Amino acid sequence: MKKSFLLLFAFTLTVNAKGFNPQMQQYINQLKSQAQKEKSGFTDFNAKRGQKIFTSVHIGKRGKNISCSSCHSINLQQTGKNIHTGKLIKPLSPFANTKRLSKVKDVKKWLRRNFNDVYKREGSAMEKGDVLYYINSAK
Amino acid sequence: MKKIYLVLIFMSGILLASDVKPINNQLALKECGSCHFAYQPGLLPKRSWKKIMRNLSDHFGVDASLDKNDNTKILNYYVVNSSDNSKQYLSRVITRYTRSDKTPVRITLGTVFLRAHDELRRSVFRRKSIQRAGNCIACHVSANRGIYNEDYVRIPR
Repeated sequence: MKKSFLLLFAFTLTVNAKGFNPQMQQYINQLKSQAQKEKSGFTDFNAKRGQKIFTSVHIGKRGKNISCSSCHSINLQQTGKNIHTGKLIKPLSPFANTKRLSKVKDVKKWLRRNFNDVYKREGSAMEKGDVLYYINSAK
Repeated sequence: MKKIYLVLIFMSGILLASDVKPINNQLALKECGSCHFAYQPGLLPKRSWKKIMRNLSDHFGVDASLDKNDNTKILNYYVVNSSDNSKQYLSRVITRYTRSDKTPVRITLGTVFLRAHDELRRSVFRRKSIQRAGNCIACHVSANRGIYNEDYVRIPR
């Protein structure tokens, strides 16, 4: 019962996602073929896995506990706040901020930087795709 | 009569002049300003900007790396408009008070900053509305226009 509920939840997350623009879809496809090479049996990215990557706490680049949510907040529809500088961060969810996930160059830049800040390493293709699916679906 | 107007125009020029040149580069504004107040190039000498832009992957403990092309463009803009290349009042003061054998990277630890803020208790900077000394615009309401003089200060509670 619990499992089917989880599956249903994961399903809703995928169904409720906004479509990517053509450039972003191309980037997602690149990540997919990379992920297939990284892990055999890979089928598609998963927003639920992305949520875990996004919200789980790690000892980051500064040697302190940090998660993506530390700055972007738990609710991606809301304004976040940079924990180091105090500067406000516009909502990450494309539902709240249509500029999000629209420019591949910016998306690549922030994934590189923020994985380093939180995980002290770059994200794998699968992790990046999972996170992008999560952000894209977070209502 | 004409003379008076000329004098008035001249004086208003002095009154309205910025203390450092405001940023007029969209790339610099976007990239520097996405995480913090976009400090004007005229607030540090060019050797400081070179050092900062060389170490962006560890920018005060945070990865702020840019692709090579954007990094070069922004660095060039910051070098051309650095304090030692500027004639604006505050830039000249900063250049004069920065020891030539030092390459400061924190504006808020510089002699000019410390002297200009020496009447404030450090706890003021830690107010929730201010957060930290580097958040210029929290009190200097026209900091984004390069205006830092006391007539344009409003310290929030």
